[in-house]
Amino acid sequence: MPRLNSRADLEELRKEILAKRDPNKPRITVCSGTACSASGARQVAVALEEEIRKRGLDAEVELKKTGCHGFCEKGPLVVVYPQEICYVRVRPEDVPEIVQSVKENRIISRLLYVGPGKERISRESEIPFYKYQKRIVFGLNRQVDPKSIEDYIASGGYGALAKALFEMSPEQVLEEIKKADLRGRGGGGFPAGKKWETARNALGEPKYVIVNCDEGDPGAYMDRSLMEGNPHRVLEGLIIGAYAIGAREGFIYVREEYPLAVENVKVAIKQAEEYGLLGENILGSGFDFHVRVHRGAGAFVSGESTALMNAIEGRVGEPRMKYIHTAVSGIKGKPSCLNNVETWANVPLIIEHGADWFRSIGTEKSKGTKIFSLVGKVNDTGLVEVPMGITLRDIIYKIGGGIKGGKKFKAVQTGGPSGGVIPEEYLDTPVDFDRLVELGSMMGSGGMIVMDEDTCMVDIARFFVGFLLEESCGKCVPCREGLRVLHSILTDICEGRGRDEDLKLIEEIAETMKETSLCALGTTAANPVLTTLKYFRSEYEAHIRERRCPAKVCKSLIAYYIDPEACQACGACLKNCPVGAVEGGEDEIHRIDQDKCTKCGTCYEVCAFNAVKKISGEPVPPSPPRGTRPRAKR
Amino acid sequence: MVELGCHHCGYRWNYRGESAFYATCPRCHYKVRIPNQKVDQTGELGKIGLEEHSKNLTGIAKIVNTVVSQFGYDENMLIQILLTFQKNFGWIPREVLSEVSKQLGVPLTRVYQVATFYKAFSLAPVGKHKIRVCMGTSCKVRGAPVILERLEGLLGIKAGETTPDLRFTLETVNCLGCCALGPVVVVDGDYWGNLTVRNVEKVVRSYR
Ligand SMILES: Cc1cc2nc3c(=O)[nH]c(=O)nc-3n(C[C@H](O)[C@H](O)[C@H](O)COP(=O)(O)O)c2cc1C
Ligand code: FES
Ligand code: FES
Repeated sequence: MPRLNSRADLEELRKEILAKRDPNKPRITVCSGTACSASGARQVAVALEEEIRKRGLDAEVELKKTGCHGFCEKGPLVVVYPQEICYVRVRPEDVPEIVQSVKENRIISRLLYVGPGKERISRESEIPFYKYQKRIVFGLNRQVDPKSIEDYIASGGYGALAKALFEMSPEQVLEEIKKADLRGRGGGGFPAGKKWETARNALGEPKYVIVNCDEGDPGAYMDRSLMEGNPHRVLEGLIIGAYAIGAREGFIYVREEYPLAVENVKVAIKQAEEYGLLGENILGSGFDFHVRVHRGAGAFVSGESTALMNAIEGRVGEPRMKYIHTAVSGIKGKPSCLNNVETWANVPLIIEHGADWFRSIGTEKSKGTKIFSLVGKVNDTGLVEVPMGITLRDIIYKIGGGIKGGKKFKAVQTGGPSGGVIPEEYLDTPVDFDRLVELGSMMGSGGMIVMDEDTCMVDIARFFVGFLLEESCGKCVPCREGLRVLHSILTDICEGRGRDEDLKLIEEIAETMKETSLCALGTTAANPVLTTLKYFRSEYEAHIRERRCPAKVCKSLIAYYIDPEACQACGACLKNCPVGAVEGGEDEIHRIDQDKCTKCGTCYEVCAFNAVKKISGEPVPPSPPRGTRPRAKR
Repeated sequence: MVELGCHHCGYRWNYRGESAFYATCPRCHYKVRIPNQKVDQTGELGKIGLEEHSKNLTGIAKIVNTVVSQFGYDENMLIQILLTFQKNFGWIPREVLSEVSKQLGVPLTRVYQVATFYKAFSLAPVGKHKIRVCMGTSCKVRGAPVILERLEGLLGIKAGETTPDLRFTLETVNCLGCCALGPVVVVDGDYWGNLTVRNVEKVVRSYR
C-alpha cells in the first residue's frame, strides 16, 4: 500500500474501497470480543469460515470478525447484514444452518433474541437492549474489523483528522473541543478542552499526549472494548489532540490484563504508519506524531494521572501531590495531556460533526453520551451507550430488561471503588456527572453494577474497602491507615462483633480521609462506605444489634439447613459438599452438621428442589432423626 | 581496569569492578556509565562498546541482554522489560533482576521496588497452569466467592498458592474485563464465563 500524501489521496482511497464493496452483498459478522470469545465465538468463526469455503460461497458472502458489540451476555453474537438479523448464543453446530439461511434469505427463529413478552426479535436495532441506546462512539464497533484500517477508512475514518489538519488551525481545533464542552470520561469529568489548553500554553518541549486505558475499576470494561474493537477511532482522536496541543509524541497505556487490546492497538499503529496517517509528515501536512504502547503491570492506583506518568517512566506507579498539574509538568517534567480512551474516541466525532451537534446531546452541564458497563444482577448485561441525562431506571429496566430471576432491586453501584450505591428511591435521577455526585456517588469510568436483594450492603462496603486497601500505594498515612481501620471495623460488623459506636467512628475516619489524602484514591475511598451507611443504615444496625444479615450473605451470621419437607434425598449436596458436612443416604433425608459446615453455599447452589435454606438471626431448626424417609417416598 | 570520571562531582578514579556497564562514583555515589575502550568518536555513549561487550556474555546475562538491548538499554523501559520476562518465564528469578539492574544501570533496590509493587510480577515459581479467579464487583455479586471456595477445595490450596506438584497456581484478580459473563475465571489466558459450582470442576479437569 502506497503512503497517503494528501487529503485527496485519502478520499480517493475511501472511494476505491467503497467501490469494491457491494452494500447489498450478504455479510456475516461474528463478534470476536473477549466476552464472546469466552463463550466460544472463535470456534463459531472458524466453523463459518470453513462452511463458506466448503460451499464455495467466498465470492457471495462476506465474513467479518468484529470487536465487542456490547451485548456480551448473549454471546457469541452473529449478525447478518444487510437485514441486520441478530443471532444470539450461537454454537458451531448452528453454523451450516446460518450459512444456508443467508443463501436462502431466511431467518432462523430459534436463534433469535427472545423479548420480554416471549416474542422473537430479528432486527438488531429492535432488541430493547439496543433500541434505547444512542451509540455514536460505540456503534461502529460492530461493523468494522479492528485489524483492518480499510474498514475504518471506508466508514469515514480519518476524515476528521484530515479536516483538522487541512481546514483548521490547532487553535480552532481546541476552540471546537472547548465549545463542545467535552468532559473527561475517565472519572472526574474534568473539561478536556481546558486541560488541552493548559498543556498547549505550558512552557517546555516536547509535549506528550497519553491515552489512559488502565481501567482498573472492577466491573467496568468499556475502555477495553473500545480499544479492542475500534482502536483506530482512539488513535485518530489522539492524533487530532496532539495536533491541537502541539505534541509530537504520544503514549498509549494499556493494562497487561488486556492482551487483545495491546495486540489490536499495535496493529492499528503499524497500519496507520504504513498509510502515512501516523509518523512523519502525516498526510503531507508537515505534522509529525509518533505513538508508543506501554503495558501497565497491574496496579489500580497507577491509573491515576501522576502515577501513570511515573509508570511510563519505568518507575513505581505512585501518585504525587498535584500542586502543579500534569498538563504543565508530567512525563519527564514536560507538559503531558492525559485523557481516557472514551474521551479521545469522542474527539473525531466532534471535529467531524461540529461542536453544536455534540452539544445537542445530553444535559446542560454534561454533553454527549456515556458508555456504561451494565453488569451484575440484570437480565441483559453488557455495554450500553446512552445520552447523558437518561434515568437510571431507563437504563436498568428498559435497556437491561430488569432484575434477573424476578428478584427485587436493591441498589445500583456506580463509579467503582470511588463511587457509591444508589437506592431505589433515586432511580429516576438523570445520569450526568453532577447529579451522581450530589447523591454521594459519581459517574466514574462507567461501571454500573446492579444489585438485588441478595446483596449485603455492609459486605459490599467491606469489599470495596478491602479492594482499596490492597491497591493503596501506602504513600500517605490517611489512606493507608484509614483504610486499614475501616476494613477491620467493617469486618467486625460482618462477623457479628460490631458495636454501636463503630458507625460514628466510620464517619469520622471517612471525613479525615476525604480532607487529607494525597490522591483521589484516598479522598474518594470512603464513598462506598458512606453511601451504604446513608441509604442502608438499617442493614448496618441489623448486623450490629441483632447479629443478623438481612441479605443472608455474611458467613458468620448465617446458617444453612435442609428443609425436611422439601428434601428428596437426591444426594446432590452430599456429593458436592467440599468438607463432608452433609450426612444422609439414599432414601434418607439429608442433614447438615453445623459444626463442620464452612458455609460455602455449594449445597444451596446445587440443590434442585430448593430444600437447602439459608437463615440469619434465628436458631437452626432441629434436623429429623436419622433414617427419616423423604416425604415423597414415605 | 578503566579510568572513570564522574560527570556529577568530577572525581576521577581507576575502576576495578566487574560491571561492564555502570559503576558508582566512590565520592558522590552518582551512577557513571563505563565507556568501553572503543568509545565511538561521535561521543555516542558507549553504544559500540555495549554491542561488542554483549557478544561475550553467557548464560543468564546473555538472555537478559537480548531483551534489554531490544529495549535500547532505556531505563524508562524497566517495566516493559520485566513484563517480557514475566511473560516468557512465568516468573522472574532473582538472578534476572540483578542482571537487569546491572545492564540497565538501575539500582537493584529500584528494580525490586518495581517488581514487588506491580501485581503482574511474581518472584517465585508458579504452577504450569495459572488460574485467575475474578473477584471484581460484578463477579462478586454474581457468586464468585463460592466459585473460589470450590476451586480452593478442588485444588487443595488457598488463593495465592501453588500446588506442590507445580501444576496449578490459584490467584484472585479484581476484574478481568469480562464482567457481563461473571463469575469469570481465566486459565492460561482462556476465559471461562458464567461459571457455577457444578461446571467449575470440568474446567479444572480439562487442564489436568
Ligand atoms: C486511583 C485512581 C485510578 C484511576 N484509574 C483510571 C483508569 O483506570 N482509567 C482512566 O481513564 N482514568 C483513571 N483515573 C482517572 C485519571 O486520574 C484521570 O483523571 C483521567 O484518566 C483523565 O482523563 P479524562 O479527563 O479523559 O477523564 C483514576 C484515578 C484515580 C485516582
Ligand atoms: S464481546 Fe461480543 S458482544 Fe461483547
Ligand atoms: S468483575 Fe469480574 S470480570 Fe469484571
